[in-house]
Amino acid sequence: MGRTSIDEAKKGSAEILILALLDEREATGRHGYEIGQLIETRTNGTLRFTLTSLYSTLYRLEDRGWIRGRWVEKAGTRRRRYYRITDLGRRMLAAQREEWSRFFVALDQAASLGIKA
Amino acid sequence: MTNWHQLVEDHAKRTGQADLPSATVAELAAHLEDLYAAARADGTSDADARQLALDALAEAPLADLARRARRRPDSRPGATAPEPASSLWTGLVGEFRHALRQMKRAPSFAAIAVVTLGLGAGAATAIFSIVDAVLLRPLPFHEPDRLVTIWDANPERSLPRERISPVNFMDYRTIAAFDDAAAWWRPEVNLAEPDKDPVRVDTIETSANLFHMLGVSPQLGSGFPIEDTLHNRERMAIISDRFWRQQYDADPAIVGKTINAMDGPPYTIVGVMPPGFHFPDEVDLWLRLQWDLTRHSRAAHFMEGVARLKRGVDADAAARELSALTSRLATDYAATNAGWTAHLTPLLDDMLGYYRPALIVLMGAVAVLLLTACINVASLLLARAGARGREMAIRAALGASRGRLVRQMLVESLLLAAGGTLAGAIGAMAILNIALASMPVAIPRMANAGLDVRLLAFAALVTAGTAILFGLVPALIVSRTRAAEALKESGRSSTSARSRVWNRALVVAEVALASMALVASALLVQSVARMMESPIGIVPDGVVTTDLQMEVRAGVEGWNVIEQQYANLLESLRRQPGVESAGLTNALPLTIGWRLAFGIVGRIAPSHDEQVQAMFVSAGDGYFETMGARLVAGRLFDARDRHDTEPVMIINETMARRFFGDSDPIGQQISSLARQVGPLGRNLAGPVPHRVIGIIADIQQAPIGQAAEPVVYHTTRQFPFAAMAIAMRGPDASRLADAVRAAVKETNPTLALGDIETMEARLKDAAAEPRLLMFVLTAFAILTGLLAALGVYGLLAWVVNERRRELAIRLALGAKPAGLARLVTGQGLVLSIAGVAIGLVAAQALGGVLDDVLFQTRTSDPGAAFTAGALLVTAALAACAAPAIRAARVEPSEGLRD
Repeated sequence: MGRTSIDEAKKGSAEILILALLDEREATGRHGYEIGQLIETRTNGTLRFTLTSLYSTLYRLEDRGWIRGRWVEKAGTRRRRYYRITDLGRRMLAAQREEWSRFFVALDQAASLGIKA
Repeated sequence: MTNWHQLVEDHAKRTGQADLPSATVAELAAHLEDLYAAARADGTSDADARQLALDALAEAPLADLARRARRRPDSRPGATAPEPASSLWTGLVGEFRHALRQMKRAPSFAAIAVVTLGLGAGAATAIFSIVDAVLLRPLPFHEPDRLVTIWDANPERSLPRERISPVNFMDYRTIAAFDDAAAWWRPEVNLAEPDKDPVRVDTIETSANLFHMLGVSPQLGSGFPIEDTLHNRERMAIISDRFWRQQYDADPAIVGKTINAMDGPPYTIVGVMPPGFHFPDEVDLWLRLQWDLTRHSRAAHFMEGVARLKRGVDADAAARELSALTSRLATDYAATNAGWTAHLTPLLDDMLGYYRPALIVLMGAVAVLLLTACINVASLLLARAGARGREMAIRAALGASRGRLVRQMLVESLLLAAGGTLAGAIGAMAILNIALASMPVAIPRMANAGLDVRLLAFAALVTAGTAILFGLVPALIVSRTRAAEALKESGRSSTSARSRVWNRALVVAEVALASMALVASALLVQSVARMMESPIGIVPDGVVTTDLQMEVRAGVEGWNVIEQQYANLLESLRRQPGVESAGLTNALPLTIGWRLAFGIVGRIAPSHDEQVQAMFVSAGDGYFETMGARLVAGRLFDARDRHDTEPVMIINETMARRFFGDSDPIGQQISSLARQVGPLGRNLAGPVPHRVIGIIADIQQAPIGQAAEPVVYHTTRQFPFAAMAIAMRGPDASRLADAVRAAVKETNPTLALGDIETMEARLKDAAAEPRLLMFVLTAFAILTGLLAALGVYGLLAWVVNERRRELAIRLALGAKPAGLARLVTGQGLVLSIAGVAIGLVAAQALGGVLDDVLFQTRTSDPGAAFTAGALLVTAALAACAAPAIRAARVEPSEGLRD
């Protein structure tokens, strides 16, 4: 696998991770910093976003209508932009989850046949 | 305290992204502040924590981010809600764009909704336009509401509507409720200008006061002078505008010129009526009455009359006064008037006849169609409300105000309604044009029908109202439910269940309406079939008819000439190729002959007693054979029966049964008392006994559906008429038409032939009006049924989609796909059967409306109900098919999604 493919895969996985994180808390949503932190901790640092890559991804998802951002001001804290998953985003998440699980099944089968992925 | 905001802005400037939207600057600043705060909380020193944040900023090339950020709607950080503070106008433009996008996303939904609305509005507008032109607009006469027609009736003899007798009319005319009354009859008139082909003209000979009473004056000339008497022997005529243009090239000096009719001296033209005036129906020539109405018979019912009510007198009061008069006449002149009454009908109702109840029934059908269309769209919108409701909830959660959501749905509904109205206008014009162009029968005043914008507006209002009302449901659902709840329940919400109940009710209502419409049309189909099947005593296949009129000459010798001319014509006709047989009559089947009193020699003294009355028809040798009539006893007319041999008659079975009972009529003698009954022929001049030579099975002379009457047939050789109909039988209708033309050319080239028509066409014409109503009503019923089926389909498709997850779980738990299909089909079936049941009950309750347009068919007819029910259930089953297949193809994995 070339480097670009890995980048693509990372990009794709970043998207599904963001959707999954927002799906976990669909009522209130999460802000950008929280999303970045959660991805980093949950992947044990394998996936780390730069500021640009994090917000570019968020804006891209928002462009596609999968998530929606909204400025929220809570008492005593700074105003933050909270992102929430949309109906469409939820559907995309489901589809991607299925695709990924199929991919993993395929990988497992390939591995059991002795083919190195 | 670090100014993170300033830091981000500075960094942006340094990297050439000075125009990074302030919202993104604010977002990044918040991020850095969080980063710093988290590091500090972990125990990192202030300087290190600050450096961590600065590093994070430094490694971020902002170009890509800036590009994306500039595209975002809320790039200004100040707005807490993402609503752009826009003007109402730009807001609306945005809403319209959004609505159009929504439609593009579900084009079939939009198409079905628009077509349904258009169909409903279009059909409603077209039919309302016709009803308006035909029924609602006042007649073009002076104060037309005060005009009534006068008809005689004899309930005891089941004659509901008979022409009036001239002498009785003169009595009717005197009642206080009338300002005035006019009467006319319809002579056969052939015009014979020296240098032109003879033409038949629709003519009435009318009392001179007719035009004055209607309040219509000629456009040229002064019309008939108003005199003390209604008649004058001086021959005067008024012609129609159409006739004036066709026959006289609109000669402006026509008044004072003469018209040559075949019946005697010429008529002087004293007027040309305005365009479009053809009272009482399609008349082109009005002759002034030349004889005294009082010096005729009270028993001869052959005139039509119209009266003008005195101002302030209503038709009921006039009818009461007339009724008092007729009962007095029935006592004073028992021999002729016993059992007879008279009734008044508003002129417009009378002119419309069958079309009045027919149009009312049609309007009912259109209302049903419009209602079904509205219900259909309502149920479509409701079905979508579930899905749209979730979308609305999300938008509400994202900060869209209720007002904005309502506005959005309103715009979407308005767009649908506008599309529907446009489709409706196009549909209405199309339907109206087709109706006007292809109308097989002449409906009075229909030609005036034009698309009425007010009516279109009304129909559009109804459909748009529906679209808007039900289009708002999703927004209302959201207003009533907490957004979070709607989101959480996501598709399995209580609101969805509620709208499902509503939707089912709507579909049941739709099916019920459709079954009502189908019952009505099935009844009409049956009624028309019964009309066509009702026995009329002849075999119409292969029979072609036409009519013609010989010139009348004075005296007995004149009649001999006519008789000889007809004999020559028939002889020539029978020689023509393709003619198997031919015969003459003065009254074809379904045409009423003269009703006259008679006596039976030795048994019933000839008298004017109304109870001893029969219809007198003249029929030549060959006529019964040609018509395929069945001889019951005795013989038919043949060449032995001439004007100088013994007078003979054939009677029908009803006559034999009613007046001869057990005795054999053959050989007995019948005499008629008729005198002064017009150009009837020489042998009616006195009570000449005629010997009965045969009995024929009943041939229907009265309109289909009226009871059989006693009929006496003379032979034309002994009872000639100038105007006769010819019936011919042969294997090929077109050859028969050629044959009769050739025979006329050979024997009497100046004769004018009437329409050449097959007997079957004549019978069809007799049922033309109900047949037309049947076709139109059936078209409406089918449309309504299709809409209902569409409703069933829409509901089930939606239910299957909503319950995908449940179906998938059932499948996972071992249900068979076929079982799921059955489940869905069963639901559709239950709804349609419920709808059909309700519709059939409602049809029974409302069936009375149809009574006036049905023939020997009861609204409770089980056949019609069964047909309608079966058709609808079949359509519903077909509508179930696609959703059922979809249900059977649900993948078990679909249950795990969402």
